[in-house]
Amino acid sequence: MSDHIDGPRVIGDPAADLTDLFAFTSPENPGRTVLAANVFPTCGPNAIFSNVINHSIVVRRAKVVGFGDAAKFETDDREIRFSFRFGLLDRTTADQKPIQRGTCTLPGGQTLDFVVNDKNGASTQDGVFRVYAGLRSDPFLLAWIVGKFTKFQNLLQNDNVLCMAVEFDTQRVLDPGKGSLFAAIAETVPVSGPGAFVGFDPPRIDWVGRPEQTNMLLNDPGLPGIDDLRDLWNQQTPFAIPEALRPVFIKRIADSLANWDIRDGKQDWTPAALAAHANVRFDDYLLFDVAKSITDTSHLEIEKSTLDGHGYETGGGRTVDCNVIDILLTMWVNHDREPIHGGASTPTKLSTKTFPYFADPNTELQSVVQSIDLNGAPDAVWSLIGKFGGYWHPLIANIKIIGAGIGELRVVETVDGKQIIERLEAMDDANRSYRYSNISGIPASDYTGTLAVKANGTGSSVEWRAQYLANGQGDLIVRTIISTLFKTGLDSLKPRFGAPQ
Amino acid sequence: MTEPDYFESKRFPTTDGEIAVINLESARQRSWSRFFFDPLRNGLAEIVVEHEQLTAQFVGDVSALDRLQFLSGQLAETNKPTARTLLVQAQIASMGHRFAEARDFIAQAELAEAPPADMNRLRLNIDQACGVELDRVLDQRRDLANKSGRTEDFVALGALLADMRDFAGADRTYKEALTIYQDVSPFPVAWVCFQLGVLWGELVRDPQANRAMLWYQRAVDCLPGYTKARVHLAELHSSAGRMSDAEALLTPAVSSGDPEVHWRLADVMSCKGRFADAEVLMRAARLGFESLLGRHLLAFADHGAEFYAGSGNDSCRALDLAYINFANRPTRRAFEQAHAIAVRAGNVDAAATLQVEATQRWSADAVFHSSPLKGRSETLEKGETAS
Repeated sequence: MSDHIDGPRVIGDPAADLTDLFAFTSPENPGRTVLAANVFPTCGPNAIFSNVINHSIVVRRAKVVGFGDAAKFETDDREIRFSFRFGLLDRTTADQKPIQRGTCTLPGGQTLDFVVNDKNGASTQDGVFRVYAGLRSDPFLLAWIVGKFTKFQNLLQNDNVLCMAVEFDTQRVLDPGKGSLFAAIAETVPVSGPGAFVGFDPPRIDWVGRPEQTNMLLNDPGLPGIDDLRDLWNQQTPFAIPEALRPVFIKRIADSLANWDIRDGKQDWTPAALAAHANVRFDDYLLFDVAKSITDTSHLEIEKSTLDGHGYETGGGRTVDCNVIDILLTMWVNHDREPIHGGASTPTKLSTKTFPYFADPNTELQSVVQSIDLNGAPDAVWSLIGKFGGYWHPLIANIKIIGAGIGELRVVETVDGKQIIERLEAMDDANRSYRYSNISGIPASDYTGTLAVKANGTGSSVEWRAQYLANGQGDLIVRTIISTLFKTGLDSLKPRFGAPQ
Repeated sequence: MTEPDYFESKRFPTTDGEIAVINLESARQRSWSRFFFDPLRNGLAEIVVEHEQLTAQFVGDVSALDRLQFLSGQLAETNKPTARTLLVQAQIASMGHRFAEARDFIAQAELAEAPPADMNRLRLNIDQACGVELDRVLDQRRDLANKSGRTEDFVALGALLADMRDFAGADRTYKEALTIYQDVSPFPVAWVCFQLGVLWGELVRDPQANRAMLWYQRAVDCLPGYTKARVHLAELHSSAGRMSDAEALLTPAVSSGDPEVHWRLADVMSCKGRFADAEVLMRAARLGFESLLGRHLLAFADHGAEFYAGSGNDSCRALDLAYINFANRPTRRAFEQAHAIAVRAGNVDAAATLQVEATQRWSADAVFHSSPLKGRSETLEKGETAS
């Protein structure tokens, strides 16, 4: 999964876990470049950035210094660095809703403050830089069971990530006249300084250059029984991996590439080409050329052409909609003999044409509402259905209450043997309504249900409502479960109380 | 390194506790959604377990065990048992202290060719919790910690050394766990601090309240929502007569639903003369404990026993629960608890029987002679009145 959850150590604080790095030409303005890095794989809708991590995207000028089996790239020592830092939650806003603020330190030391999740981001006064940070739909598409090399649905469907994006004037920031090929990495490094008491200088937590360096090459699922080198790799300094470790990493990368090559039963890479490929991958950074076209399919073209012994034609890079897994597998398994496609062709959401170019997060609240008019008086209806643990619903075989009052749980066993656990959040007997949340049993998150009885002429009206977060394909299932539950329950009240004709 | 050395040494921060808990909750909810979306997918149930375990341990959310129980049921319904699902079920059973059930799941997982390392790790946890062959467990724990270098392995080793009354060794090991920690998540750091608080506040023969408070306070500083640390720190404040400090610690933790918070806060209210508040809280505590005991008897038997032996004021119920606890995991600490409750209840026969049984089990063990159990037995033998 690109760089998602790429080692035991990043699992400790998922907000430090880099998932992907992007470099592409701004869809709004071809004179501007966008760099972006995402963290916190599969985060929920309330996720926020860690306040003790320096998140950096670092760019160096690069050049091709060898072709074919001697393919090699070199980078300058000078860095163009964008660093994102985030603060504690701020609860002083007018509506008391907590917000998080952040600061991006730009090349040259200038800082730009922003508010997390503000879709407009923030810009420098001269308009050279614009930054955004916040929750976005994860654009990554993983439509494979990679270990088994079998096609599947997108395993990251409906996932969100925390995204940091910076857009800038290409000419003024990168000065491509001095060379238009660049190499980028992103890294997460703990902030050093007072404030806690772990007596150890914490090394880098994670970094990413090209996708799948860690999960598919350094810890290839096709090589059983190998040591997990991912944490060791993640703790190295990008652009400066010690020569002493080179043999270990090169061997693993070469072994993995050889393993990938024969996944289809055919060997497409010569040993010399494969060794050259391993050497190129060892120098791990995302290459992009701002003088050439960066498209959804240009990812890795710079490396491929250089390995094939000729000059590259595109800007390489990586766009938001780039299907990196299919591109990688086509290269690794087939040596680009013919394309390999996974079980899905698009991610949960495609990119947008406007800043910050990453689609809105998957947090839309879905609603199911069912209601019924009855002849019975509101109080009579409420006396039957207004108890949180009341036993009146025909689909409920058994119901057990745990605790008392707000916070009590009802454990419902349905007639088809399912168990649903719900928690009472609010009870308003005077207005004949209660609100509850689902703890388990309904395949949705942030599920809130409300049952209310209102006067309606001489009779009453019962409304049962649920809100929950969409879960894509699962949403249809959820909607069906809830609608059936509500409709069957409300319909069962008709024979008891009568209903208007 | 002493505590002051630790506090004054160069420091590196961990993620703010409030942010970490929000992110944990965010990830926990998402992990359930992903599980429901594709229950058969490798790794998803394991992630749910990890998130729920963190939620139970650090947020004090007692309904986490209910949700895990539900997960175990889902796995049993959804899947043909596989080595993976059986290990998840074993882990859930173990978290609920249903150790016999957990061992059964592991045995089934073994037949299904589960990875030996995963089974061994679970068996080790269970053996340690049940006090089985602790010398062997100690060797394996040391080996694991030295090989992995992981903080959590050092914490488990420290806890075992404390169980075996090597308090200096436990202290050293916990501090090593802090020293090697290289990450920014506050959960492991708060955990180690809490363990050090328990070590110096409760386990050593002559508790050092100030030392314990320092560690509990560190745990709360790291993770303000750490309910257990708040409860233990509040107890020390209460014991020292600082009722307002105890109240300030406990009040924000009431929303966790942990009945121990209600209990301790009721005691504080009583001491402050706010008897009506105390009564309401004590009723909530009693209801809460009974509710938990009804759902997860083995997991909460020792806590329930403490409650009923204390302000819960039902020594018979306390002793019953203590018996249930040590029948499930006959550790020295479980015996000590049952014995202390029997002594406090004036149940001389029960105390004597426990003393005999404990002597049979551990008389050859040098550290038994420093056990409070032995000390208390002698007290009873000398004819001192039990109260």
